[in-house]
Amino acid sequence: MTIQQIVDPSNIEPELIRIWEALAKENKIRASLFNLIVFTRFSPRTDYFRNIVQKVVEKFPCRTLFISHDPDSPQPYLKTAISVVSPSEEASIACDQIDIGVAGPDLQRVPFVILPHLIPDLPIYLLWAEDPSIPHPLFPPLAKLATRIIFDSESADSLLAFAQTLLELKEKTGIDVADLNWARTEGWRDLISSTFYAGQRLALLKQISHLNIVYNARETEFFCHLKIQAMYLLAWASSRLDWKFEKATPSLQFKFKSVAARIQSDTWEKLGPGTVISVNLQTTDGHQFDAGRIPDAYHHVKIQFSSMEQCDLPYRFVLGQTATGQSLVNEICKKGTSVHYLDMLKELKTLDRDRLC
Amino acid sequence: MPTQIPSNPLEEPGRSSRNIDPCIVVIFGATGDLTGRRLAPALYNLGREGQLPPNFALVGFARREKSQQEFRDELKEDISSFSRVKPIEEGFWENFQEQIFYHRSEFDDDAGYEALAHFLNSLDGRFATRGNRVFYLSVQPKFFPLIIEKLHKFGLIYDAHNTKDKWSRVIIEKPFGRDSASAETLQTDISKHLDESQIYRIDHYLGKETVQNLLVFRFANSIFESLWNYRHVDHVQITVAEDIGIGTRGHFFEEEGLCRDIVQNHMMQLLSLVAMEPPVSLSAGAIRDEKVKVLQSIRPLSQADLEHTVIRGQYGNGFINGQEVPAYRNEKDVSPSSYIETYVALRFFIDNWRWAGIPFYLRGGKRLPKRVTEIAIVFKDAPGVLFQNKGKRNEQNVLAIRIQPDEGIAMKMNCKVPGPSSPIQPVKMDFRYGSYFGKSPPEAYERLIWDCIIGDSTLFARADEVAQSWDIFTPILKYWSSHTPKDFPNYDSGSWGPKAADEMIAKDGRAWRMP
Repeated sequence: MTIQQIVDPSNIEPELIRIWEALAKENKIRASLFNLIVFTRFSPRTDYFRNIVQKVVEKFPCRTLFISHDPDSPQPYLKTAISVVSPSEEASIACDQIDIGVAGPDLQRVPFVILPHLIPDLPIYLLWAEDPSIPHPLFPPLAKLATRIIFDSESADSLLAFAQTLLELKEKTGIDVADLNWARTEGWRDLISSTFYAGQRLALLKQISHLNIVYNARETEFFCHLKIQAMYLLAWASSRLDWKFEKATPSLQFKFKSVAARIQSDTWEKLGPGTVISVNLQTTDGHQFDAGRIPDAYHHVKIQFSSMEQCDLPYRFVLGQTATGQSLVNEICKKGTSVHYLDMLKELKTLDRDRLC
Repeated sequence: MPTQIPSNPLEEPGRSSRNIDPCIVVIFGATGDLTGRRLAPALYNLGREGQLPPNFALVGFARREKSQQEFRDELKEDISSFSRVKPIEEGFWENFQEQIFYHRSEFDDDAGYEALAHFLNSLDGRFATRGNRVFYLSVQPKFFPLIIEKLHKFGLIYDAHNTKDKWSRVIIEKPFGRDSASAETLQTDISKHLDESQIYRIDHYLGKETVQNLLVFRFANSIFESLWNYRHVDHVQITVAEDIGIGTRGHFFEEEGLCRDIVQNHMMQLLSLVAMEPPVSLSAGAIRDEKVKVLQSIRPLSQADLEHTVIRGQYGNGFINGQEVPAYRNEKDVSPSSYIETYVALRFFIDNWRWAGIPFYLRGGKRLPKRVTEIAIVFKDAPGVLFQNKGKRNEQNVLAIRIQPDEGIAMKMNCKVPGPSSPIQPVKMDFRYGSYFGKSPPEAYERLIWDCIIGDSTLFARADEVAQSWDIFTPILKYWSSHTPKDFPNYDSGSWGPKAADEMIAKDGRAWRMP
């Protein structure tokens, strides 16, 4: 990565050209698959998102426009800086990053700063790292530019409001949306759907009577809404299997028409915050399905099936890569909006009507 | 088609990346070169990138005595040396190796297959692989019928039509015969126990990203397809050049020659993909139907063609990258009076509506100046007399699709040089995969093994495709076997091939490109 260089907004492109001319001697090739606009408030999470952007660049070179807004600054400002980022020192390809720091009334200038720097004919992904249910003056103009908006429900103060906002946005604009927390549960969704694959196993889905989900309650400065992934998994199962919600308690016990579900916490020091640790399912006829991460191999889940008559040998399921930023990389590879996700959000509006998360 | 269970309400088709059937991959010839250099790194990278089914195991089947741990350690060493991503990820490997096993047996030993069946059943219990099997025959073709017969005998190959809850597939490596007759014999032997839907004939060229992109490039872009016919195309050149000689493959090459090694299979696959009509769908059957139609449309070669438009060559001494290299006849395990070809150039016509009268020139060879595989579509001259340069015609537009190395697509067009005198100069618009998509693309074997696991045979050769191709090349091989070349060796190592190849294309008023 070249050293970040503060430039006047009007000098962004000429300065980038100058840097690239210098890099030509090092045989660096300028590449870009899409435009990635990241918006975040200035906070400890800003660094988390910078890290995520680096992970994305390692996989897909793109032009990044990273906007950090400082609503608490007493002085208004608009600062722009440029740099060239590369997956690694040795990599022959690299791409541009434009950083925009803003505070006060200068916020309204931001859309006009970024417009000339979007590479034409390439998709525009907007990673909106803030709570979409809280109106922000920059959201409408940036959303209008975007081909796809990626949210992170970790930023939401209320999961119910988050779900409502996203569903309304989808209905009004039709824009494709994605959610990093939804992507983070992909491994578990794959595990469950591939375990109940056909025939007898598929039939068991209709007989589920109990569901128990355990999540990791380890809080960090970047993650504090730790129940969300477990709630997503529950709402997904309930929406797919049409369980018909009746009531919930503050201790996260859920009563459906014929299913009782519970979300519990545990603390695993080395596992990502909020990550699902285990899932347990029981059926009305005594079948039991236990899936839990293996403590010394977090990506591996031990699965065991048993019934009143027999107990199967346990086997392992390897969850996909769960490194920081991998969820965003996975989301970028996909097109459209997940129907399961939208159905899950609708279900969540009912499950979380008492604002449990 | 990928296996999908639409009745599972938890599955979201097209979004979940890992809803593929669990399975065990069994590699026959697991201690061989191909396993170490290609298959093990491919499976490792698929696993590392989360592409393998979550319930998965790998079993190596070979004749050498070896413990599980020795086999795992050897694979680790191979992966460390040959994987496209280095170094090996220790954390991932520690877990992955627990899914790798070794089974020792002779290929003809019934007891070995019986034990294999028991062992695979026990792994099904341990990894929930549900009885699904991929058998990769990384062995000499003479063992194909024997191994397949034994697999069938011990219930390891299922009846494709009457087994619904599990599947078995067999991957075989080329050569698929030596001529029409031997290919037919092989097909008869293996089809006794396998349905065509269970046979995956691997041609690793088809697993290359750029080759796959040919279909996307042609049928997902409207601007090219409208020009892709006899009205606009002057001719097509397909080049598969290698700068290396035959290395340690003397015995093999003396038996096979370049025509069987790359022209009959790899180059004809490229030709089919370039010339085929749009398929009715992207299903394996639809795509392969169109490829076969191209082969069926190739004009049979006449006696005059065999004499004048099919050129063979053999390399003599010369220089590659400034280093002196020996003639083919001086290579290890090669007869000093060998007449085996190391170079082939030929011209085909495809007698269908789209390609009427348009020649397709193919050339492939060893010890050429550089390693390059390229398909060049050369367009007709612009009509009229505008912008002619002192009576000389301008350069023809060329669309060059580079398969390897430096995968990409380049377009040559004419452009005005800045300034008042307006001379016209050809310029190149160049798209490079490496520059655009960054990280190294998956190896061909990664894609092909993955396709087999999901049951997609699009990128594998079908029996009628193989047979059709042999029908084209058997007369050439027959003619060559009865006509000893008089001028071998007829090209210097490090040159672009024999003079006869240049003369062949020059008679048509054209010249080989410098790829």
